[in-house]
Amino acid sequence: MLIDINASTGHWPFQQMQNSSCNEILARMDRYGVDLSVVSNLNGIFYKNVQAANEELHEELMSDRRFKDRFFPFAIINPQYAGWRQDLDICVNKMGVRGIRLYPVYHDYELSDPSCIDLVKIARDMGLIVGFTFRMFDPRGPRHWMDTTIQWNLGDMIPVIQEVPDATYFFLNVVGNIFVLNESERALLKKTTVLIDTSGASLGNMGNAIATYGAGKFAFGTHTPILDYLTGLLRIESLRENEGGEAARDQLRSGNARKILGI
Amino acid sequence: MANLINRRNFFKKTALPVTGIMMGSSISGLSGCQRSGAAMPASYDIMEEVMKYRKINSHEHVWPDVSPDALIDFSDRLGVEKLAISSIIPAGPGREANPQGFRACNDLVLKAMKKYPGRFLGQAFLNPVYGKESLEEIKRCIDQGMIGLKIYNQVKINDPLFYPVIEKLIDLKMVMLVHAHCGLGVGGYRPRYGNVQPNASIPEDFAMAAKRYPEAIFQYAHLHGGSDWEYACRVLKDYPNVYADLSGSNNEANTVNFALKHLGEDRLLFGSDGSYYQGIGTILSSDLNDAQRKKIFFDNFNNILRKSGNNVD
Repeated sequence: MLIDINASTGHWPFQQMQNSSCNEILARMDRYGVDLSVVSNLNGIFYKNVQAANEELHEELMSDRRFKDRFFPFAIINPQYAGWRQDLDICVNKMGVRGIRLYPVYHDYELSDPSCIDLVKIARDMGLIVGFTFRMFDPRGPRHWMDTTIQWNLGDMIPVIQEVPDATYFFLNVVGNIFVLNESERALLKKTTVLIDTSGASLGNMGNAIATYGAGKFAFGTHTPILDYLTGLLRIESLRENEGGEAARDQLRSGNARKILGI
Repeated sequence: MANLINRRNFFKKTALPVTGIMMGSSISGLSGCQRSGAAMPASYDIMEEVMKYRKINSHEHVWPDVSPDALIDFSDRLGVEKLAISSIIPAGPGREANPQGFRACNDLVLKAMKKYPGRFLGQAFLNPVYGKESLEEIKRCIDQGMIGLKIYNQVKINDPLFYPVIEKLIDLKMVMLVHAHCGLGVGGYRPRYGNVQPNASIPEDFAMAAKRYPEAIFQYAHLHGGSDWEYACRVLKDYPNVYADLSGSNNEANTVNFALKHLGEDRLLFGSDGSYYQGIGTILSSDLNDAQRKKIFFDNFNNILRKSGNNVD
Protein backbone atom coordinates (compact mmCIF):
# COMPACT_ATOMS: atom_id res chain seq x y z
CA MET A 1 0.00 0.00 0.00
CA LEU A 2 1.20 3.49 -0.83
CA ILE A 3 -0.08 6.73 0.72
CA ASP A 4 0.99 10.19 -0.48
CA ILE A 5 0.77 12.61 2.44
CA ASN A 6 1.57 15.72 0.39
CA ALA A 7 -0.65 16.39 -2.63
CA SER A 8 -2.54 19.49 -3.71
CA THR A 9 -5.18 20.48 -6.18
CA GLY A 10 -5.65 23.96 -7.55
CA HIS A 11 -3.60 26.61 -9.27
CA TRP A 12 -0.42 28.59 -8.69
CA PRO A 13 -0.73 32.20 -9.81
CA PHE A 14 2.80 32.48 -11.20
CA GLN A 15 3.20 29.24 -13.12
CA GLN A 16 0.96 26.88 -15.00
CA MET A 17 0.23 23.75 -13.00
CA GLN A 18 -0.45 20.41 -14.66
CA ASN A 19 -2.08 17.33 -13.16
CA SER A 20 -3.64 19.43 -10.41
CA SER A 21 -7.29 18.37 -10.41
CA CYS A 22 -8.57 15.44 -8.39
CA ASN A 23 -9.20 13.59 -11.60
CA GLU A 24 -5.66 14.16 -12.87
CA ILE A 25 -4.10 13.31 -9.53
CA LEU A 26 -6.15 10.13 -9.40
CA ALA A 27 -4.85 9.17 -12.84
CA ARG A 28 -1.30 9.60 -11.57
CA MET A 29 -2.09 7.60 -8.46
CA ASP A 30 -3.45 4.76 -10.58
CA ARG A 31 -0.46 4.84 -12.91
CA TYR A 32 2.15 4.79 -10.16
CA GLY A 33 0.46 2.56 -7.61
CA VAL A 34 -0.60 5.16 -5.05
CA ASP A 35 -3.66 4.05 -3.09
CA LEU A 36 -4.49 7.17 -1.12
CA SER A 37 -3.52 10.84 -1.12
CA VAL A 38 -3.79 13.55 1.49
CA VAL A 39 -4.94 16.57 -0.47
CA SER A 40 -5.60 20.27 0.04
CA ASN A 41 -6.29 23.15 -2.35
CA LEU A 42 -3.42 25.45 -3.39
CA ASN A 43 -5.90 28.25 -3.98
CA GLY A 44 -6.26 28.59 -0.22
CA ILE A 45 -2.73 29.96 -0.08
CA PHE A 46 -3.77 32.98 -2.12
CA TYR A 47 -7.40 33.61 -1.32
CA LYS A 48 -7.89 36.11 1.49
CA ASN A 49 -10.96 34.18 2.48
CA VAL A 50 -9.40 30.72 2.42
CA GLN A 51 -12.65 28.96 3.23
CA ALA A 52 -13.67 29.39 -0.39
CA ALA A 53 -10.76 27.13 -1.34
CA ASN A 54 -11.84 24.51 1.18
CA GLU A 55 -15.33 24.64 -0.28
CA GLU A 56 -13.93 24.24 -3.79
CA LEU A 57 -12.01 21.15 -2.76
CA HIS A 58 -15.02 19.70 -1.00
CA GLU A 59 -17.21 20.21 -4.06
CA GLU A 60 -14.61 18.61 -6.29
CA LEU A 61 -14.31 15.62 -3.99
CA MET A 62 -18.09 15.22 -3.96
CA SER A 63 -18.29 15.35 -7.73
CA ASP A 64 -17.04 11.81 -8.37
CA ARG A 65 -17.75 8.79 -6.20
CA ARG A 66 -14.25 7.41 -6.83
CA PHE A 67 -12.69 10.30 -4.95
CA LYS A 68 -14.24 9.47 -1.58
CA ASP A 69 -12.15 6.38 -1.13
CA ARG A 70 -8.88 7.72 -2.51
CA PHE A 71 -8.43 11.18 -0.98
CA PHE A 72 -8.05 12.47 2.55
CA PRO A 73 -8.98 16.16 2.49
CA PHE A 74 -7.05 18.67 4.58
CA ALA A 75 -8.33 22.22 5.08
CA ILE A 76 -6.25 25.37 4.85
CA ILE A 77 -6.90 27.67 7.78
CA ASN A 78 -5.71 31.24 8.28
CA PRO A 79 -5.94 32.08 11.98
CA GLN A 80 -5.64 35.79 11.20
CA TYR A 81 -8.84 35.98 9.21
CA ALA A 82 -12.36 36.57 10.48
CA GLY A 83 -14.45 33.51 11.10
CA TRP A 84 -11.69 30.91 10.98
CA ARG A 85 -12.98 29.01 14.01
CA GLN A 86 -16.34 28.57 12.33
CA ASP A 87 -14.59 27.56 9.11
CA LEU A 88 -12.60 24.93 10.97
CA ASP A 89 -15.76 23.55 12.55
CA ILE A 90 -17.46 23.29 9.14
CA CYS A 91 -14.40 21.69 7.57
CA VAL A 92 -14.23 19.04 10.27
CA ASN A 93 -17.88 18.32 10.89
CA LYS A 94 -19.40 18.86 7.46
CA MET A 95 -16.53 18.31 5.02
CA GLY A 96 -14.76 15.56 6.92
CA VAL A 97 -11.23 16.96 6.81
CA ARG A 98 -8.56 14.92 8.58
CA GLY A 99 -6.12 17.72 9.16
CA ILE A 100 -5.18 21.30 8.40
CA ARG A 101 -2.37 22.97 6.52
CA LEU A 102 -1.05 26.34 7.67
CA TYR A 103 0.79 28.84 5.48
CA PRO A 104 2.11 31.56 7.82
CA VAL A 105 4.51 32.99 5.22
CA TYR A 106 1.80 33.50 2.62
CA HIS A 107 -0.85 34.56 5.13
CA ASP A 108 1.60 36.99 6.73
CA TYR A 109 2.01 35.90 10.33
CA GLU A 110 4.86 34.38 12.31
CA LEU A 111 5.07 30.77 13.37
CA SER A 112 5.34 32.07 16.91
CA ASP A 113 2.23 34.24 16.61
CA PRO A 114 -0.23 33.46 19.42
CA SER A 115 -2.97 32.86 16.87
CA CYS A 116 -0.86 30.21 15.18
CA ILE A 117 -0.09 28.46 18.45
CA ASP A 118 -3.78 28.64 19.42
CA LEU A 119 -4.78 27.03 16.15
CA VAL A 120 -2.27 24.22 16.61
CA LYS A 121 -3.64 23.60 20.11
CA ILE A 122 -7.21 23.56 18.86
CA ALA A 123 -6.24 21.15 16.09
CA ARG A 124 -4.63 18.92 18.67
CA ASP A 125 -7.77 18.96 20.77
CA MET A 126 -9.90 18.11 17.74
CA GLY A 127 -7.63 15.20 16.76
CA LEU A 128 -6.43 16.89 13.59
CA ILE A 129 -3.02 16.64 11.96
CA VAL A 130 -1.22 19.96 11.45
CA GLY A 131 0.76 20.31 8.23
CA PHE A 132 3.56 22.83 7.67
CA THR A 133 5.20 23.09 4.24
CA PHE A 134 8.80 24.29 4.47
CA ARG A 135 8.65 25.93 1.08
CA MET A 136 6.31 25.84 -1.89
CA PHE A 137 8.79 26.82 -4.62
CA ASP A 138 12.55 27.04 -4.90
CA PRO A 139 13.35 30.66 -3.98
CA ARG A 140 16.08 30.88 -6.59
CA GLY A 141 15.33 31.12 -10.31
CA PRO A 142 11.93 29.50 -10.58
CA ARG A 143 10.38 31.85 -8.03
CA HIS A 144 8.25 34.65 -9.36
CA TRP A 145 9.37 38.14 -8.36
CA MET A 146 6.16 38.61 -6.38
CA ASP A 147 6.65 35.34 -4.48
CA THR A 148 8.44 34.87 -1.17
CA THR A 149 12.10 34.00 -0.60
CA ILE A 150 11.40 32.61 2.86
CA GLN A 151 11.84 28.92 3.53
CA TRP A 152 12.15 27.07 6.82
CA ASN A 153 14.36 24.32 8.11
CA LEU A 154 13.70 21.82 10.89
CA GLY A 155 15.10 24.23 13.47
CA ASP A 156 12.32 26.72 12.71
CA MET A 157 9.77 24.12 13.81
CA ILE A 158 11.27 23.54 17.25
CA PRO A 159 9.56 26.51 19.00
CA VAL A 160 6.17 25.34 17.74
CA ILE A 161 6.80 21.81 18.95
CA GLN A 162 7.95 23.18 22.30
CA GLU A 163 4.69 25.12 22.61
CA VAL A 164 2.49 22.21 21.56
CA PRO A 165 4.47 19.01 21.96
CA ASP A 166 1.45 16.73 21.93
CA ALA A 167 0.04 17.81 18.57
CA THR A 168 0.46 15.62 15.50
CA TYR A 169 2.45 17.15 12.66
CA PHE A 170 3.24 16.69 8.99
CA PHE A 171 6.43 18.47 7.91
CA LEU A 172 6.23 18.72 4.13
CA ASN A 173 8.72 19.44 1.34
CA VAL A 174 11.45 19.76 3.94
CA VAL A 175 14.47 21.78 2.83
CA GLY A 176 17.61 22.96 4.56
CA ASN A 177 20.03 20.87 6.54
CA ILE A 178 18.05 18.28 8.48
CA PHE A 179 21.10 17.56 10.63
CA VAL A 180 21.06 21.14 11.95
CA LEU A 181 19.33 20.26 15.22
CA ASN A 182 21.31 20.00 18.43
CA GLU A 183 20.99 16.99 20.71
CA SER A 184 18.10 18.31 22.80
CA GLU A 185 16.19 19.50 19.74
CA ARG A 186 16.72 16.16 18.06
CA ALA A 187 15.46 14.37 21.16
CA LEU A 188 12.37 16.60 21.19
CA LEU A 189 11.65 15.86 17.55
CA LYS A 190 11.98 12.15 18.17
CA LYS A 191 9.44 12.34 21.00
CA THR A 192 6.97 14.27 18.86
CA THR A 193 4.39 12.60 16.66
CA VAL A 194 5.56 13.92 13.32
CA LEU A 195 5.93 12.63 9.80
CA ILE A 196 8.39 14.17 7.34
CA ASP A 197 7.33 13.51 3.77
CA THR A 198 9.90 12.24 1.28
CA SER A 199 9.47 15.00 -1.31
CA GLY A 200 11.95 17.49 0.16
CA ALA A 201 15.40 18.29 -1.19
CA SER A 202 16.82 17.86 2.31
CA LEU A 203 16.60 14.13 1.88
CA GLY A 204 19.65 13.82 -0.32
CA ASN A 205 20.58 10.58 1.36
CA MET A 206 17.50 8.80 2.67
CA GLY A 207 19.57 6.17 4.45
CA ASN A 208 21.35 8.83 6.52
CA ALA A 209 18.05 10.53 7.36
CA ILE A 210 16.59 7.27 8.64
CA ALA A 211 19.75 6.51 10.58
CA THR A 212 19.44 9.89 12.31
CA TYR A 213 15.72 10.16 13.01
CA GLY A 214 14.40 6.63 12.56
CA ALA A 215 12.16 5.13 9.90
CA GLY A 216 9.13 6.01 12.01
CA LYS A 217 9.54 9.69 11.21
CA PHE A 218 9.14 9.56 7.43
CA ALA A 219 6.35 8.90 4.96
CA PHE A 220 5.94 8.95 1.21
CA GLY A 221 5.05 12.36 -0.21
CA THR A 222 5.18 13.96 -3.64
CA HIS A 223 4.49 17.71 -3.25
CA THR A 224 2.51 17.25 -6.44
CA PRO A 225 1.67 19.14 -8.64
CA ILE A 226 4.72 21.35 -8.02
CA LEU A 227 7.43 18.69 -7.79
CA ASP A 228 7.76 15.53 -9.85
CA TYR A 229 5.69 12.56 -8.82
CA LEU A 230 8.38 9.91 -8.37
CA THR A 231 11.43 11.30 -6.61
CA GLY A 232 9.84 10.83 -3.19
CA LEU A 233 9.10 7.21 -4.04
CA LEU A 234 12.60 6.58 -5.36
CA ARG A 235 14.04 7.71 -2.03
CA ILE A 236 12.08 4.91 -0.41
CA GLU A 237 12.40 2.10 -2.91
CA SER A 238 16.15 2.50 -3.35
CA LEU A 239 16.82 1.95 0.37
CA ARG A 240 19.16 -0.93 0.95
CA GLU A 241 18.83 -3.76 3.44
CA ASN A 242 21.39 -2.17 5.77
CA GLU A 243 19.31 1.03 5.73
CA GLY A 244 16.23 -0.64 7.09
CA GLY A 245 15.31 -2.77 4.13
CA GLU A 246 11.77 -3.91 3.47
CA ALA A 247 10.59 -3.13 6.99
CA ALA A 248 11.61 0.51 6.65
CA ARG A 249 10.25 0.72 3.13
CA ASP A 250 6.88 -0.53 4.37
CA GLN A 251 6.82 2.05 7.13
CA LEU A 252 7.52 4.82 4.65
CA ARG A 253 5.19 3.57 1.94
CA SER A 254 2.14 3.54 4.17
CA GLY A 255 2.75 2.10 7.64
CA ASN A 256 3.54 5.37 9.38
CA ALA A 257 0.83 7.29 7.54
CA ARG A 258 -1.77 4.62 8.27
CA LYS A 259 -0.94 4.78 11.94
CA ILE A 260 -1.37 8.54 12.07
CA LEU A 261 -4.42 8.64 9.81
CA GLY A 262 -6.01 5.85 11.81
CA ILE A 263 -6.51 3.49 8.90
CA MET B 1 15.60 30.35 7.87
CA ALA B 2 16.91 27.38 6.07
CA ASN B 3 20.49 26.83 5.04
CA LEU B 4 20.61 24.96 1.79
CA ILE B 5 22.57 21.74 2.05
CA ASN B 6 26.10 22.08 0.80
CA ARG B 7 26.72 19.43 -1.85
CA ARG B 8 30.12 18.68 -0.39
CA ASN B 9 28.71 18.12 3.09
CA PHE B 10 25.96 15.93 1.75
CA PHE B 11 28.37 13.34 0.46
CA LYS B 12 30.60 13.83 3.49
CA LYS B 13 27.81 12.80 5.86
CA THR B 14 28.40 9.38 7.22
CA ALA B 15 25.75 6.99 8.37
CA LEU B 16 24.75 7.43 11.99
CA PRO B 17 23.47 4.78 14.37
CA VAL B 18 19.86 3.87 13.89
CA THR B 19 17.93 5.49 16.70
CA GLY B 20 14.45 5.39 15.32
CA ILE B 21 11.41 5.42 17.48
CA MET B 22 8.01 4.33 16.50
CA MET B 23 5.32 6.81 15.80
CA GLY B 24 2.83 7.47 18.53
CA SER B 25 -0.58 5.96 18.41
CA SER B 26 -3.09 7.19 15.89
CA ILE B 27 -4.79 10.39 16.75
CA SER B 28 -8.37 10.34 17.80
CA GLY B 29 -11.20 10.83 15.42
CA LEU B 30 -9.53 9.44 12.34
CA SER B 31 -10.51 5.84 12.62
CA GLY B 32 -13.14 4.02 10.68
CA CYS B 33 -11.95 5.06 7.27
CA GLN B 34 -14.09 3.45 4.62
CA ARG B 35 -11.72 1.84 2.18
CA SER B 36 -13.66 -1.23 1.23
CA GLY B 37 -14.71 -1.54 -2.37
CA ALA B 38 -12.45 1.24 -3.60
CA ALA B 39 -10.73 0.74 -6.94
CA MET B 40 -7.07 0.28 -6.17
CA PRO B 41 -4.15 1.03 -8.49
CA ALA B 42 -1.93 -1.47 -10.19
CA SER B 43 1.45 -1.98 -8.59
CA TYR B 44 4.38 0.00 -9.95
CA ASP B 45 7.95 -1.15 -9.47
CA ILE B 46 10.06 1.98 -9.73
CA MET B 47 13.36 0.17 -9.20
CA GLU B 48 12.60 -2.09 -12.14
CA GLU B 49 12.08 1.06 -14.23
CA VAL B 50 15.27 2.62 -12.88
CA MET B 51 17.38 -0.41 -13.66
CA LYS B 52 15.86 -0.84 -17.11
CA TYR B 53 17.88 2.03 -18.58
CA ARG B 54 21.61 2.37 -19.15
CA LYS B 55 22.79 5.70 -17.79
CA ILE B 56 25.65 8.12 -18.17
CA ASN B 57 25.59 10.91 -15.61
CA SER B 58 26.62 14.08 -17.44
CA HIS B 59 27.12 16.34 -14.40
CA GLU B 60 28.74 15.41 -11.10
CA HIS B 61 31.61 16.58 -8.91
CA VAL B 62 34.37 15.34 -6.65
CA TRP B 63 35.58 17.40 -3.72
CA PRO B 64 38.93 17.57 -1.89
CA ASP B 65 37.57 16.41 1.45
CA VAL B 66 35.11 13.79 0.21
CA SER B 67 35.91 10.35 -1.09
CA PRO B 68 34.57 9.49 -4.55
CA ASP B 69 33.36 6.23 -2.99
CA ALA B 70 30.01 7.87 -2.18
CA LEU B 71 29.47 8.75 -5.84
CA ILE B 72 30.16 5.19 -6.91
CA ASP B 73 27.91 3.87 -4.17
CA PHE B 74 24.96 6.01 -5.27
CA SER B 75 25.63 5.18 -8.90
CA ASP B 76 25.60 1.47 -8.18
CA ARG B 77 22.37 1.86 -6.22
CA LEU B 78 20.65 3.55 -9.15
CA GLY B 79 22.20 1.76 -12.10
CA VAL B 80 24.45 4.55 -13.37
CA GLU B 81 27.35 3.15 -15.40
CA LYS B 82 29.53 6.20 -15.80
CA LEU B 83 29.78 9.70 -14.36
CA ALA B 84 31.26 12.83 -15.88
CA ILE B 85 33.04 14.48 -12.95
CA SER B 86 34.90 17.69 -12.31
CA SER B 87 36.32 19.56 -9.36
CA ILE B 88 35.76 23.30 -9.22
CA ILE B 89 36.60 26.48 -7.35
CA PRO B 90 33.54 28.75 -7.13
CA ALA B 91 34.46 32.40 -7.60
CA GLY B 92 34.49 34.42 -4.42
CA PRO B 93 36.65 36.20 -1.88
CA GLY B 94 39.75 34.16 -1.06
CA ARG B 95 38.94 31.57 -3.72
CA GLU B 96 40.97 32.50 -6.76
CA ALA B 97 41.02 29.89 -9.48
CA ASN B 98 44.65 30.42 -10.41
CA PRO B 99 46.71 27.84 -12.34
CA GLN B 100 47.89 26.19 -9.14
CA GLY B 101 44.29 25.93 -7.96
CA PHE B 102 42.78 24.53 -11.15
CA ARG B 103 45.62 22.05 -11.58
CA ALA B 104 44.95 20.77 -8.08
CA CYS B 105 41.25 20.39 -8.92
CA ASN B 106 42.08 18.41 -12.02
CA ASP B 107 44.57 16.25 -10.15
CA LEU B 108 41.72 15.29 -7.85
CA VAL B 109 39.64 14.19 -10.83
CA LEU B 110 42.56 12.22 -12.29
CA LYS B 111 43.02 10.50 -8.94
CA ALA B 112 39.36 9.45 -8.88
CA MET B 113 39.61 8.21 -12.47
CA LYS B 114 42.56 6.04 -11.48
CA LYS B 115 40.81 4.72 -8.38
CA TYR B 116 37.74 3.65 -10.36
CA PRO B 117 38.91 2.86 -13.90
CA GLY B 118 36.12 3.01 -16.43
CA ARG B 119 33.57 4.67 -14.12
CA PHE B 120 34.56 8.33 -14.16
CA LEU B 121 34.73 10.56 -17.24
CA GLY B 122 36.97 13.47 -16.30
CA GLN B 123 36.17 17.09 -17.15
CA ALA B 124 38.97 19.62 -16.76
CA PHE B 125 38.37 22.86 -14.86
CA LEU B 126 40.25 26.01 -15.83
CA ASN B 127 40.12 29.79 -15.69
CA PRO B 128 40.53 31.59 -19.04
CA VAL B 129 41.92 34.64 -17.28
CA TYR B 130 45.09 32.55 -17.39
CA GLY B 131 45.00 31.87 -21.12
CA LYS B 132 48.33 30.17 -21.71
CA GLU B 133 48.09 28.02 -18.59
CA SER B 134 44.52 27.05 -19.45
CA LEU B 135 45.46 25.75 -22.87
CA GLU B 136 48.39 23.86 -21.34
CA GLU B 137 46.04 22.38 -18.77
CA ILE B 138 43.61 21.21 -21.44
CA LYS B 139 46.44 19.29 -23.10
CA ARG B 140 47.65 17.81 -19.81
CA CYS B 141 44.16 16.61 -18.85
CA ILE B 142 43.10 15.30 -22.26
CA ASP B 143 46.38 13.42 -22.57
CA GLN B 144 45.42 11.63 -19.37
CA GLY B 145 41.99 10.61 -20.60
CA MET B 146 39.59 13.46 -19.78
CA ILE B 147 36.67 13.99 -22.12
CA GLY B 148 35.80 17.68 -21.91
CA LEU B 149 35.71 20.82 -19.80
CA LYS B 150 33.77 22.18 -16.85
CA ILE B 151 33.52 25.96 -16.69
CA TYR B 152 32.40 27.71 -13.54
CA ASN B 153 31.67 31.34 -12.75
CA GLN B 154 35.02 33.08 -13.13
CA VAL B 155 34.33 34.37 -16.66
CA LYS B 156 31.16 34.36 -18.76
CA ILE B 157 31.18 31.89 -21.62
CA ASN B 158 30.75 34.62 -24.26
CA ASP B 159 33.70 36.65 -22.97
CA PRO B 160 36.52 36.98 -25.56
CA LEU B 161 38.85 35.49 -22.97
CA PHE B 162 37.09 32.20 -23.68
CA TYR B 163 37.56 32.26 -27.45
CA PRO B 164 40.90 30.36 -27.53
CA VAL B 165 39.49 27.75 -25.15
CA ILE B 166 36.34 27.27 -27.20
CA GLU B 167 38.37 27.03 -30.39
CA LYS B 168 40.58 24.38 -28.80
CA LEU B 169 37.53 22.36 -27.75
CA ILE B 170 36.12 22.62 -31.27
CA ASP B 171 39.36 21.08 -32.54
CA LEU B 172 39.02 18.32 -29.97
CA LYS B 173 35.26 17.86 -30.68
CA MET B 174 34.61 17.90 -26.94
CA VAL B 175 31.84 19.28 -24.76
CA MET B 176 32.04 22.27 -22.42
CA LEU B 177 29.82 21.93 -19.37
CA VAL B 178 29.18 25.52 -18.34
CA HIS B 179 27.80 26.60 -14.98
CA ALA B 180 24.57 28.46 -15.65
CA HIS B 181 22.29 30.73 -13.69
CA CYS B 182 18.97 32.20 -14.59
CA GLY B 183 17.27 33.68 -11.58
CA LEU B 184 16.29 36.86 -9.92
CA GLY B 185 19.39 38.92 -9.38
CA VAL B 186 21.63 36.04 -10.33
CA GLY B 187 24.16 36.32 -13.09
CA GLY B 188 22.70 39.52 -14.43
CA TYR B 189 19.11 38.44 -15.06
CA ARG B 190 16.91 41.19 -13.64
CA PRO B 191 19.87 42.83 -11.90
CA ARG B 192 17.73 45.29 -10.03
CA TYR B 193 17.19 42.49 -7.54
CA GLY B 194 20.93 42.17 -6.89
CA ASN B 195 23.74 40.33 -8.54
CA VAL B 196 24.84 37.24 -6.68
CA GLN B 197 27.28 35.78 -9.20
CA PRO B 198 28.16 38.57 -11.66
CA ASN B 199 30.25 36.34 -13.92
CA ALA B 200 27.94 33.35 -14.03
CA SER B 201 26.75 32.63 -17.55
CA ILE B 202 23.07 33.31 -18.20
CA PRO B 203 21.08 31.89 -21.14
CA GLU B 204 21.75 34.91 -23.32
CA ASP B 205 25.50 34.40 -22.84
CA PHE B 206 25.15 30.83 -24.08
CA ALA B 207 23.18 32.04 -27.07
CA MET B 208 25.90 34.54 -28.00
CA ALA B 209 28.68 31.95 -27.70
CA ALA B 210 26.66 29.34 -29.60
CA LYS B 211 25.95 31.80 -32.39
CA ARG B 212 29.61 32.77 -32.71
CA TYR B 213 30.75 29.15 -32.57
CA PRO B 214 28.02 26.94 -34.07
CA GLU B 215 30.41 24.00 -34.26
CA ALA B 216 31.19 24.11 -30.53
CA ILE B 217 29.32 21.86 -28.06
CA PHE B 218 27.95 23.61 -24.99
CA GLN B 219 26.18 22.01 -22.03
CA TYR B 220 23.88 24.33 -20.07
CA ALA B 221 24.29 23.17 -16.48
CA HIS B 222 21.57 21.96 -14.11
CA LEU B 223 18.22 22.97 -15.55
CA HIS B 224 16.82 21.79 -12.20
CA GLY B 225 19.46 23.71 -10.27
CA GLY B 226 17.43 26.75 -9.41
CA SER B 227 17.23 28.20 -12.89
CA ASP B 228 14.12 29.79 -14.28
CA TRP B 229 13.92 26.80 -16.62
CA GLU B 230 11.10 28.21 -18.70
CA TYR B 231 13.11 31.35 -19.45
CA ALA B 232 16.27 29.34 -20.15
CA CYS B 233 14.56 26.94 -22.55
CA ARG B 234 12.93 29.77 -24.46
CA VAL B 235 16.29 31.52 -24.94
CA LEU B 236 18.18 28.34 -25.89
CA LYS B 237 15.50 26.98 -28.21
CA ASP B 238 17.15 28.10 -31.45
CA TYR B 239 20.73 27.12 -30.63
CA PRO B 240 21.08 23.42 -31.49
CA ASN B 241 24.66 23.23 -30.25
CA VAL B 242 23.55 23.99 -26.69
CA TYR B 243 22.50 20.91 -24.71
CA ALA B 244 20.84 21.13 -21.30
CA ASP B 245 21.51 18.77 -18.45
CA LEU B 246 18.64 17.96 -16.12
CA SER B 247 20.61 17.85 -12.89
CA GLY B 248 19.87 19.82 -9.73
CA SER B 249 17.78 19.66 -6.59
CA ASN B 250 14.71 21.56 -7.76
CA ASN B 251 12.76 18.69 -9.30
CA GLU B 252 9.77 20.60 -10.59
CA ALA B 253 7.15 18.47 -12.25
CA ASN B 254 7.02 20.09 -15.65
CA THR B 255 10.65 20.96 -16.39
CA VAL B 256 11.45 17.94 -18.55
CA ASN B 257 8.21 18.17 -20.51
CA PHE B 258 8.81 21.86 -21.18
CA ALA B 259 12.44 21.28 -22.15
CA LEU B 260 11.40 18.44 -24.43
CA LYS B 261 8.96 20.72 -26.21
CA HIS B 262 11.44 23.58 -26.64
CA LEU B 263 14.84 21.88 -27.00
CA GLY B 264 13.86 18.47 -28.32
CA GLU B 265 14.68 14.95 -27.23
CA ASP B 266 18.24 15.02 -28.64
CA ARG B 267 19.47 17.95 -26.53
CA LEU B 268 18.58 16.80 -23.01
CA LEU B 269 21.08 15.01 -20.76
CA PHE B 270 20.64 13.07 -17.55
CA GLY B 271 22.68 14.44 -14.64
CA SER B 272 22.69 14.69 -10.88
CA ASP B 273 24.99 17.45 -9.58
CA GLY B 274 24.58 15.98 -6.10
CA SER B 275 20.85 15.29 -6.44
CA TYR B 276 20.67 11.66 -7.42
CA TYR B 277 17.06 10.87 -6.67
CA GLN B 278 15.79 13.98 -8.44
CA GLY B 279 17.93 13.38 -11.52
CA ILE B 280 16.20 10.08 -12.15
CA GLY B 281 12.76 10.80 -10.66
CA THR B 282 12.12 13.77 -12.92
CA ILE B 283 12.86 11.77 -16.05
CA LEU B 284 10.79 8.75 -15.08
CA SER B 285 7.78 10.86 -14.08
CA SER B 286 7.73 12.99 -17.25
CA ASP B 287 5.78 12.35 -20.43
CA LEU B 288 8.59 10.55 -22.24
CA ASN B 289 8.36 7.40 -24.28
CA ASP B 290 10.85 4.60 -23.90
CA ALA B 291 13.05 5.75 -26.77
CA GLN B 292 13.21 9.30 -25.38
CA ARG B 293 14.20 8.00 -21.95
CA LYS B 294 17.01 5.98 -23.51
CA LYS B 295 18.27 9.02 -25.34
CA ILE B 296 18.24 11.23 -22.27
CA PHE B 297 19.69 8.68 -19.87
CA PHE B 298 22.43 7.44 -22.18
CA ASP B 299 22.48 7.97 -25.94
CA ASN B 300 22.60 11.76 -26.14
CA PHE B 301 25.70 12.11 -23.99
CA ASN B 302 27.26 9.04 -25.56
CA ASN B 303 26.77 10.62 -28.98
CA ILE B 304 28.60 13.71 -27.77
CA LEU B 305 31.44 11.50 -26.57
CA ARG B 306 31.42 9.69 -29.90
CA LYS B 307 32.49 12.88 -31.69
CA SER B 308 35.86 12.71 -29.95
CA GLY B 309 36.09 8.93 -29.98
CA ASN B 310 35.33 8.68 -26.26
CA ASN B 311 31.96 6.92 -26.54
CA VAL B 312 31.42 4.24 -23.95
CA ASP B 313 29.86 1.50 -26.06
